[in-house]
Amino acid sequence: MEYVNPEGLRLDGRRPMEMRQLRAEIGVVSKADGSAVFEMGNTKVIAAVYGPREVQNRSQQMNDQALVRCEYSMANFSTGDRMRKPKGDRRSTEISLVIRQTMEACILTHLMPRSQIDIFVQVLQADGGTRSACINAATLALADAGIPMRDLVTSCSAGFLNGTPLLDLNYVEDSAGGPDVTVGILPKLDKVTLLQMDAKLAMDTFENVMQLATEGCKAVATYIREILLEHTKQLEFRRGL
Amino acid sequence: MAKKAFINSAQCLRTLHCYAHTICILLFFHFCLVEAMVGLSLGEKSFIKGGIAQDLRTDGRKRLTYRPIYVETGVIPQASGSARVKLGATDVIASVKAELGRPNPSDPDKGKVSIFVDCSPTAEPTFEGRGGDELSTELSAALQRCLLGGKSGAGAGIDLSSLSIVKGKVCWDLYIDGLVVSSDGNVLDALGAAIKAALSNTAIPKVNVAAQASPDEQPEVDVSDEEFLQFDTSGVPVGKHYIVDATSEEESQMSSAISVSINRQGRICGLTKRGGAGLDPSVLLDMISVSKHVSEQLYNKLDTEIAAAEACDEEE
Repeated sequence: MEYVNPEGLRLDGRRPMEMRQLRAEIGVVSKADGSAVFEMGNTKVIAAVYGPREVQNRSQQMNDQALVRCEYSMANFSTGDRMRKPKGDRRSTEISLVIRQTMEACILTHLMPRSQIDIFVQVLQADGGTRSACINAATLALADAGIPMRDLVTSCSAGFLNGTPLLDLNYVEDSAGGPDVTVGILPKLDKVTLLQMDAKLAMDTFENVMQLATEGCKAVATYIREILLEHTKQLEFRRGL
Repeated sequence: MAKKAFINSAQCLRTLHCYAHTICILLFFHFCLVEAMVGLSLGEKSFIKGGIAQDLRTDGRKRLTYRPIYVETGVIPQASGSARVKLGATDVIASVKAELGRPNPSDPDKGKVSIFVDCSPTAEPTFEGRGGDELSTELSAALQRCLLGGKSGAGAGIDLSSLSIVKGKVCWDLYIDGLVVSSDGNVLDALGAAIKAALSNTAIPKVNVAAQASPDEQPEVDVSDEEFLQFDTSGVPVGKHYIVDATSEEESQMSSAISVSINRQGRICGLTKRGGAGLDPSVLLDMISVSKHVSEQLYNKLDTEIAAAEACDEEE
C-alpha cells in the first residue's frame, strides 16, 4: 500500500514533515485540581490531575518525596471497533507506567513529601499517537494544577514508510507495520525523557527519524506555551488586573 | 449514491433523569458517609438543609429547577451517533454504535440493544482501577431497566422490532456506551439526556437484502428513532421537602432517592428507589406526580437543546 504518493502527500493529505492539527483546552473538569483536553488530529485525550493530596495507601507513602500515580484508560467508543474492556488490559497498564515514569521525572517531587499526585488520562478518540497526546495533555493538566515541574514534557511520534521519514503517524500509518518512534523531551532543558520504538530501523535512518520526532516535540512545546500564556492572561483578566 | 439528509423525526428516545433528594432531619447515619466522600462541615450541612427548607439552594436554584443543560451532538465521528451533555459541572458522553448481528433465538424479529456505562477516573479519583465498577453497574442497570423494559421486551423505550433486518437471521446490534467524564451530582439524568441525544443523532445505514445472498449495505442514512422515554425522579424527605437535580454536595446529604422514568405520554416506564430511609407510600405517589410535572419542562428544554445542537452540527 502506498503511504506517500508520488507527489509527496500522505493518506490524509499532509506532507511528510507536517504534524496534525493541535488543539488544547485547559480546565475542562472543574472538580479536578487540574485538567486539560489535548487533540492531535483525530486523537482526543482528556487528562485530570488530583493532587497534591494525602496519600490514600499509607504503605506507599514516601517520606521525602511525593507519590505519583497514573492511570490510562480508553473509552469503549474510542477505537473503530468497539473495545470490550476499557481498562486493565496489558497495553493500558504499560502506557500508564510509561506516562507515570515520564511525568515523575519532571515533577519536583521532593517539594511535596508524604503526598500523592494522581494523573488520570482518558482517551476519547484514538487515531494513532495516543501515548504522545496523553503526555501532552498530562503536562497541561499538571500546569493547570500548579504542580511545580522542571520543564514541560512534550511528546511526538514519527515513523518511516515508503523510504520517507513521516512525522506524527495516524492509526492507518501506525498499523502499516513500519517503525514507530515515540519521543518525549524536556524542551528548554533539551533532554530526552522518553524513547520507544517498535519494528526495525537502520541506525542512520533511526537518527533521522528521532531528529524529526524531536522537532515535532519542540513544535508541540511552542503550542503548549501559547495555550498556557493565553490561559494565564484569562485568569489575570478575571481577577480584574 | 446520494445521501439523504438526516431526518430528525419527532419520535426520539428521550431519557432524562432527575433526582430529587430527601433532606432528612435525622442524619446520624449519614455522617460517616458524608465525611468520607464530600467532607462537609456541620455549618455547611445545616446551611444546605436550611436553604432547601426555604426553597433556595446553595446555587440560587429553586427546589424543582434544573441546572442549565448544554448538549453537543456528533462529538465522536467514528460512532453511529454520539452526544455530550453538560449539566452544571456534570459532564457525560454517550455514543451509539450499530453493528450487524444475529437476533436472539427467543426473539427472532427484534434487534438487540446493550447499554454500558463507564465511570472515568477523571471524574473521581476513587474510580481508579475497579473503584468505579460499582457505580457503573448501578447506572447501567438503571438505564437498562428504563430503556429496555422487562425481560420479554415489553414496555421498552426503544422499539426493538425496528432494528430487525431479516427475521431470525440478521438484526442490528446497538451498543450504547456512556462515559462519565466529570461528576457533580445527578449523573443518571445527564446520562439519560446524553443517550437520548445520541440516539436522535444516530444514523444507521439502510440495508437492502438481496435475495438468497447476504445483505448489502447501502450508504444511505436512516434515522434510528424510537418512542420517547424520559427519566425523572423525585424524593421526599421526612420534612416534606424534595429537590430535583442535586449537586454532589446535596446528594451527600440525601437520605433516599427515587428515579422515575416517564415517557412523553406521561406514563411511567421504570422506577427505582435507591437505598436509604424508608418512604411513606403516599409520599411516594406525591413525588411521582411532581416528577411528571417537572419532566414536561425538562422535555421541552431538552428538545430545544438537541435541535439547536443538531442545527449547529449540520452547519459545520
